Formats: sequence, structure tokens, C-alpha cells
Amino acid sequence: MSKPVGPVLRMSDDVDAIVAAIVDDNPGREVTVVDRGAYTRVSGDGELRVTRESIERHLGRGFEMRQLEGLMSAFAGRIDMTSEEVRWRLKSGEPGAPA
Amino acid sequence: MARMAREKWYDIARDLDWELSYVDYEEVFPEWMSGQGKVPREAWAGWDEPYKVTYPEYVATQREKETGAYSVKAVLQKSRIFDQLDEGWKSVAKEHFGAVALVEDLAAYAELRMARFGLSPAWRNMATFGALDETRHAQISLYFPHALVGKDPQYDWAHKAYHTNQWAVIAARATFDGMMMNPNVVDVAVQLPFTFETGFTNVQFVALAADALESGDINFANMISSIQTDEARHSQQGGPTLEILVEHDPRRAQWIIDKTFWVSARLFAVLTGPGMDYYTPLPMRRQSYAEFMQEWIAGQFVDQLHDYGLKKPWYWDEFMAGLDTWHHSLHLGVWYWRPTVWWKPQGGVSPEERDWLHEKYPHWEEQFGPAWNVIIGNINDGRIELTLPETLPWLCNLCHLPIGTAGSPRNEKYPVRSYPLTYNGYTYHFCSRPCRQIWWEDRDTLYDPTVIERLLGGQIQPLTVEGILTWMGLTPEVRGEDAYSYRWARPYAARRRPGDRPGDRPGGAETGTRDRGGQAAHTQEPAGQGQPVPVNALFEDDFVTQLVVVRDTDTVDQAARKVAAQVVGRRVPPRDAGLVVRFDGMAVPGDITVAESGISALDVVNVGWAGGHQ
Repeated sequence: MSKPVGPVLRMSDDVDAIVAAIVDDNPGREVTVVDRGAYTRVSGDGELRVTRESIERHLGRGFEMRQLEGLMSAFAGRIDMTSEEVRWRLKSGEPGAPA
Repeated sequence: MARMAREKWYDIARDLDWELSYVDYEEVFPEWMSGQGKVPREAWAGWDEPYKVTYPEYVATQREKETGAYSVKAVLQKSRIFDQLDEGWKSVAKEHFGAVALVEDLAAYAELRMARFGLSPAWRNMATFGALDETRHAQISLYFPHALVGKDPQYDWAHKAYHTNQWAVIAARATFDGMMMNPNVVDVAVQLPFTFETGFTNVQFVALAADALESGDINFANMISSIQTDEARHSQQGGPTLEILVEHDPRRAQWIIDKTFWVSARLFAVLTGPGMDYYTPLPMRRQSYAEFMQEWIAGQFVDQLHDYGLKKPWYWDEFMAGLDTWHHSLHLGVWYWRPTVWWKPQGGVSPEERDWLHEKYPHWEEQFGPAWNVIIGNINDGRIELTLPETLPWLCNLCHLPIGTAGSPRNEKYPVRSYPLTYNGYTYHFCSRPCRQIWWEDRDTLYDPTVIERLLGGQIQPLTVEGILTWMGLTPEVRGEDAYSYRWARPYAARRRPGDRPGDRPGGAETGTRDRGGQAAHTQEPAGQGQPVPVNALFEDDFVTQLVVVRDTDTVDQAARKVAAQVVGRRVPPRDAGLVVRFDGMAVPGDITVAESGISALDVVNVGWAGGHQ
């Protein structure tokens, strides 16, 4: 993985559901999960996204995207956050950007 | 009632701003505070934070975080978990609290400066949240250890440390004042949120949480990782600021990052490195300090730098090499000078721990093993006084850490040495070329005398170890001692490792080991025996340079023995050989006086064995 991006999630009951949602929302993209106990690093190459809808489906309850903040101690790459979706990416990974 | 989605109204509300009519723009945003520099005023309108949050969202989320952190604390406080924690691990937490709690408070002021002088309303809005965040961090970082003060007075230093002149606090204060309080807010945004909070704080607050949880300190792990969720958000002030700066003044952007990265790396080598590789119990270590730094800094942060069109700092190879040495050297120093810290350093060099160190750091044994062997021998022979300091290491005029700790013994590329610079007739000393270069560029904004300079300037009285400790605010009940009363050294008494000589007794050298008349900084001599000449002295194969006060009437041989007395039999094994002094690259005859040799105050003096390196 040359440009790993993605969230670093702190210990909580919801980590597995968030990871499952990320896997669902990034079909065809390799997602790497490294569990270091107090934190879990989730990485994709160049870009990863997760939607509120997928998180709710895996949690089995309602979820506001702002609540992700309380679970995410750090992240790699740049972040874009709306009420429905969060994306982590590197600008240099975008089409037309220098490698 | 359905609410309009945040992104449909956020940008308009966030960009609400004043058109100034009663005052000039420059009066509201003076250059020395706002730091616009070469960036056109209109460029700041493009400042767009990527991590958006509204005030109601902020309040709801922070409430949930606080509830989580304090409820865990409330439950664990009733348990015996704290009493069962490893003493070495507790020192990780104590060091963290003292070094960090009031820096969080300082960071609130840095955020408030950006909230006032930031050059776009979006930035000022985000900085306001940042100030609230940092206030929470200061409060929680004081409240948690406060509950432990009754069990252990060293936790009192969570609040006390920054009100003292303890040496590590001076180092941290110099670094963080330079990052948060001295610069204009554009520089602050690139230094603090971008370089420090997206880089280094992850190592201390996320990576360290992994060791904390393994060590059973659930409370601490929960607290620091909760804090870092705020940092992940407000650190995003750095990116938009950097993006604008890179477009209009890339050279300034690169320089700000380069210097901040270096001083942060130096500080973390003492703040985080020893805790991860020595204090954390061996079975609980998730990764080594170098591995954590590789993951968070060499990998993640450098990817980010490249993404903004910036390069690795000019000293990159030196920094990477330092991941294998700096914190080992600083650990050895903290342990040797342990009465000067507010925690209990765990030696961490038992045979099993040593095997781990050798596996993680292939050159550890060669570079640091010999010094620990001498220390272990002294411990097992009951000569504890030789494992305690009688003088101080010479300190770097930029990072304030001991000179020598940016290198290591028996390291040809980055040796133990001072990098002096004489400016306006005064000689400054640095641990490394990058520290010297940063000092030179920023010299007009730096004013933090080192402990050595304060000592030589007469601020510390009396000139005894006790006087120095008292001046640093270290009362007897909090002074550091070995976490386990040297338990880790005992196995060597019965077990010899191939090539080790940890039980050998010092002796036989024609040096201070026989003539223990070593004149430490504090040693009082009869009046009328010449003038004191404080020198920055390095003994061959030692890991730091030290303050040694010789007399101008001493012969060079006598001066050499005074230097040797602080090192030989303490960290360097004795040898059946004479001593030779080198000054300005030349060997100096032993029978002339210090005055005749040209050695004067603040000079660098090297002492080694006659006959050369063996």
C-alpha cells in the first residue's frame, strides 16, 4: 500500500461495526486493519470512505456522523466530513495530481 | 422537527465577518501577531477547514466524551487496579502528567491567539473550539492525577512541574513557548496543529495508549485517547493554513515545519522514548519506540508532508538514525541523574530486557552496553554513590537536553560531541548541527538560559547537588530513585554474559578512580588556589559532555583527573593508562597549567586515554 489513508479508532464496543461499514463502503478496495489493543488502524490505498447509513446498519441503531469524532483518535490523510459521509484521502492520489 | 443538514448552511454562517470601518485592518490584525507575510490578504478567504463541526454538535460530542472518561475513572477508583500497576509503568504516567498537563493549558492560549488573530472567520471559529478542547485537556490531565496524590506525592508534579525550573520542564517550556506563544498565528498553525498535533501527539496519546492498556492502566489509556479525539479535529487548522502558505511562501512553510519537527523529535526522545522502551514492563510492550515512530512519524506524517508539496526536512537521515540512539542516551542520563526527576526511572536493563533491546536495536549493546556494565558492577558491589551524579551534563542552548544525547558512544557518524558557536563574544553549545542552525536563524526570539548558564551565572545557591535539586523544586520525597531498588541488576551478580564485565571492580587506572579527588561543580576548594574555570568536558567513550570546574592554576594533568573522576568507574571502565587532554584538536602537555594551555571558561575540553582508543 503506497498511500495508506484512513481512521485510527480508539477502544470501544463500536469499533467492529465501524470497520465492517468501511469494508462495505469501499468495494473492490483493499482494506487493512491493524489492531493494537487501545487503537485500531484502518487503511486503504489513496482513499477510504464510510457512510452513516452503513454504520447504522452494522450498529443496528441510529448514528450521527458527529459521533465518529468520539471514536477516532487520529487519521492518516486528509478528511472531508459531511452529515452523511466521511472520506479520507490524499490530494496527490487524485486524478491529475502529481504522484 | 427535521433539521436542515449542516452542509446546507454551515459555510454561510461560518464566513460571517466584519467589514472594518472604524479601524484599519493592520490595527486589528497586526503583522507581528497575524503573520500574513507574503500571502495576499484575499488569499485567506479560501481557508476551508476539512473537519467541520457546529456548536450544538460540538457540545453534544464533548459531553459524550467527558461522560465516557469520567465514568470509567469513577468505576476504577473503587477498584484496586492502581495499586497493582507496575511501578515502572506508573512512572510513564507521572512523567506524562508533569510534562503535559499545563502544556495543555498553554495550548488553550495558543488556540485563543488564533481565535483572535487568525486571518479568516472560518479559522477563528475552529480555533475557538480548539481553545475549549485544550481547556478540557488541562482540566482532565490535572483531575485524574489529583486523585492519586494521596497515594504518591510524585503525582503532585502534574500541577507543580511547570511552576519549577526542573531541567526537563525548562526544555519543554522552551520548546512549547517557541511553538505556541512566541510566533505569529500563521506560524503557530503550522507548528502546533500541523506539525505537532498531527505528528507527535499521536505518539504520546494514541501509541502510548496501547502500552497503557497492556499495562492495565485502563484509566490512563482511556483518558489520553479521549483527548486525542479532540486533537484529530482541531489539528485540522494546520492543513488549510499550510496550503495557503505553501502556495505563496513555500520556503517559509518548509522552514517552520523543519524546525518544529526537530525540536519536537528531541523532546519526545526524552518524554516518550524511555517510557516505551524501559519503563513499560517487558511483556506489555506493544512495539518499540522506534517502531511506533516509524508508524506514526516516518510513515504517516511524511506522507502528509509530501501531500502538501513539501519535502522531508534537510536533516532527515540524522533524525532517522537518532531513532536508534537518542532515547537510549536520554534514558541513561535520566536514570543516572534520577534525583533530578519527579518520577522513578526503571533501569530496564535486566538480562531479558537487554535481549529485547538488542533485538530491537542491533547497535545498543555496542553503544550503551559498556556504560550499563559499569553501572551494574557498581550496583552489585554496593557502590551506589558511583551511580549518582556529582555534576551536571552540559545542556544544549536550543533543545536544553544534555549534549551528547543527539549521538551515541562508538558512533562514527553521529558521535558524542558539542557543536559550539561563538556569537558576540559568547560561546553557545549545541547537541547537534540542526539545533545550532535553528538557534542561529531564530536567535532574536530565543531567550531561555540553560540550567548550566543559570548555575554559572550564580542563580543557583549553594553550588551543591542539594542546592541544585532544591533550586529545581525537587523536595526530598519526590526525587526520583530506581523504580525497583535495582532489582533488574541483581541477576548479573550470578550470571555473566559473554563479553560483559558487569561485576568487575574498577581500579588500576591512573585516574580519578584511584585519585577520587574529582572536583565536581559543587566542590568547594580552599580560597587562593586560582580562579575557577568551568569547562564543557567530554571523556572518551562517555555518552554526555559535562560541566567540570577546574582551576586556572591546575596542571592539565590535574584537570584531566577532575574530568575522569566524573566518568571513569562510573560509566566508563577504568584502564591501566594515563590521560591526555585535547583542546582545539591538539594534545596539550600535562605539565603546563590550565591558564598556560589557553583553556578558558566555557571551552570544550576532550579527555581520553593516552595511547589512543582501544
